[in-house]
Amino acid sequence: MLLLFYLHIRGDDLSQVLNFGIVEIKFMKEIKSKNIFVKGPISPEFIASDIQKHSSKKNIGGHSIFLGQVRADTIDQKQVKFIEYTAYEEMALEKMHIIREAIFQKYDLICLHVYHSLGIVHAGEISLFVFVSSVHRKASIDACEEIVGRIKSELPVWGKEIFEDESYQWKENN
Amino acid sequence: MGSDEILFPGVKDTDQLIQQLNVKYPGLAGAPYIIAVDKEVISGNTELAGEHVVALLPPYSGG
Repeated sequence: MLLLFYLHIRGDDLSQVLNFGIVEIKFMKEIKSKNIFVKGPISPEFIASDIQKHSSKKNIGGHSIFLGQVRADTIDQKQVKFIEYTAYEEMALEKMHIIREAIFQKYDLICLHVYHSLGIVHAGEISLFVFVSSVHRKASIDACEEIVGRIKSELPVWGKEIFEDESYQWKENN
Repeated sequence: MGSDEILFPGVKDTDQLIQQLNVKYPGLAGAPYIIAVDKEVISGNTELAGEHVVALLPPYSGG
């Protein structure tokens, strides 16, 4: 009989495997990555309540918020109706964790929250919500700009632009 | 786009894997993508001893 136990422990070491006779215990790197993905659009109500939640953090002096909205681009006379987002979620969350750590190293921030849609988001709806807070404004403004850039260039997320006639094209970030 | 899982036993490195994939999926040869091995993007041919997860990633378009 072989029993596998997955115990999550803190530490950056890769999995170490200990063998105890018939029982194999695997210590795995703890998945510390926060989930950033939400199904469908990010509602203005959600964003408002997230802002409200920060009123208890009285050391914050400035928030910087970026909201990515799905644009009804016209390509070859056809208008984008909605974008369907998919992701290599596991890798994206690991990358986001690395980005988050790097940003906290570089900027003096109080907190940082990122939400990205998966699935269908119609033109005019929000698909990305980045919320950065700091004591003074400059750190959160600069950090927000850098995070959004890194999300677009480093996260394995794809947007399929679906037109009104149901044809589609894969979006590409510049 | 999808996340279909295919097993390739006996493949030594990523170059060999891509050669086999190009035969199986001729459309892949001209497609733009980068390769990740175990969730790390690689820049050159990478050995695949043991079990690895290889992902072909088209240009990103999140945000």
